Amino acid sequence: MSDLERRYLRLVRICYPAGYRDARGTEIAGTYLALSSPDRRWPSVADVTDVAVGGLRQRLRAVGATGVGPGLRLAATLALVTATALAGCWATLELSPWTTAWFGVAQHGTSVTLGLGVWVTWLLAAAAHVAAPGRWTRAAIGLALVLTVAVVPLAAVVDRSRPPLFVLLPQVCLGFVALGVPSRSPGWLRLLPVAGVAAALPVGAAFAGNGGDVFLGYYGWPARQILPAAGTALLLVAVLVGVVLAARGDRRGGWALLVLLGPIGMLSVHPLAGELAARFYGGGPNADWTTLATAATIAAVASATAMWAALIVQRRVAGAARRSVPGGPRSHEASG
Amino acid sequence: METPLREPTFLILAALAAEPLHGYGLITEVTRLSDGRVSLRPGTLYGALDRLLDAGLVAVEREEVVDSRLRRYYRLTNHGGDLLADETERMRRNVEAATARLTARTRRGTPRLSGGIA
Repeated sequence: MSDLERRYLRLVRICYPAGYRDARGTEIAGTYLALSSPDRRWPSVADVTDVAVGGLRQRLRAVGATGVGPGLRLAATLALVTATALAGCWATLELSPWTTAWFGVAQHGTSVTLGLGVWVTWLLAAAAHVAAPGRWTRAAIGLALVLTVAVVPLAAVVDRSRPPLFVLLPQVCLGFVALGVPSRSPGWLRLLPVAGVAAALPVGAAFAGNGGDVFLGYYGWPARQILPAAGTALLLVAVLVGVVLAARGDRRGGWALLVLLGPIGMLSVHPLAGELAARFYGGGPNADWTTLATAATIAAVASATAMWAALIVQRRVAGAARRSVPGGPRSHEASG
Repeated sequence: METPLREPTFLILAALAAEPLHGYGLITEVTRLSDGRVSLRPGTLYGALDRLLDAGLVAVEREEVVDSRLRRYYRLTNHGGDLLADETERMRRNVEAATARLTARTRRGTPRLSGGIA
């Protein structure tokens, strides 16, 4: 057995559920090997991604949650629109001279913090979604995600200001969901992220334009207003789309809402942290690092629990449906 | 299985219409049928094959071990053949209708803008 074959088999073993990989593991690995060039020694990035996605799809299928895939694609479009709209808003504020007054730091170049570079990559992702949906859009989102994370250590190394973690964290969550954006979608849907940016620019400008008030800083009041507002808007749109689809017997919207609960929770971290601070410390809702971290943990655990509970319910419903239909759909083992 | 079929599903069924194929053969045949436009990856292919097996549209024909690797051949079932024929007929009627409209449009010439260009 070659090293490449061993590596493909290991990947399949990691990603696919046990019963399935016993029935199909060697067959799937053999197909990857047949498609690879003779001089290749390691699985390509595309193959690793494909195995991971295929394994996830199979795990969802094993619990009867086949609707999660279409739901994720719907959630990804909504997440991309939200992420790019927020990026447009933050980019406008980054360019505002009043943010300098709030920071009390010298402005380097055109922007106050290193954040401008991050937000521009998100705007590029919106443009990629119009011009080249699919692989190029996912690559652009991946680049934006890497920069959104990398700006934290980079700012420490070069001793520059950066966007706060409570702004970066929801952006990362939205970006991860947005990676599931469909390769093919109607023209109007491809324009939505750009439309979101266009709609966000005046919002950012309105906040930035009220100069003279020191509280109108990029780190401060606008972020505490804009993030929860974006979370609420995303929740309302997801619920509305879910209701419209459910009326047609399409349950994608429910799964999309469950997928989006995590990012929505992260968008609401600051007000939640303020509530925690008021409760624990007394006084006003003055969030600090501890309450912000606690609020983010609560949001992550709550959204993961909701998804887990939904998958368990779905598994039981699917199991009951299978038992009630004699000779119902065959299992994957039967296919082998 | 919901209709109309998605393009990869249609192409997998079409590829199996001629003869039973294994995974690699299916991927190359789908690429050839679509003139290189649709390039399935194994993760996508086996996900689609699972759905088609569940729906009774394809079945496992036989298994072989080549170079100590398992090859499983899949074939189109009668039900799968009927569905493929129905889908092909539906698409053929659509193509004929669109072709007729386009031919009529060409004969008329490209319509002018209302009021012309001032």
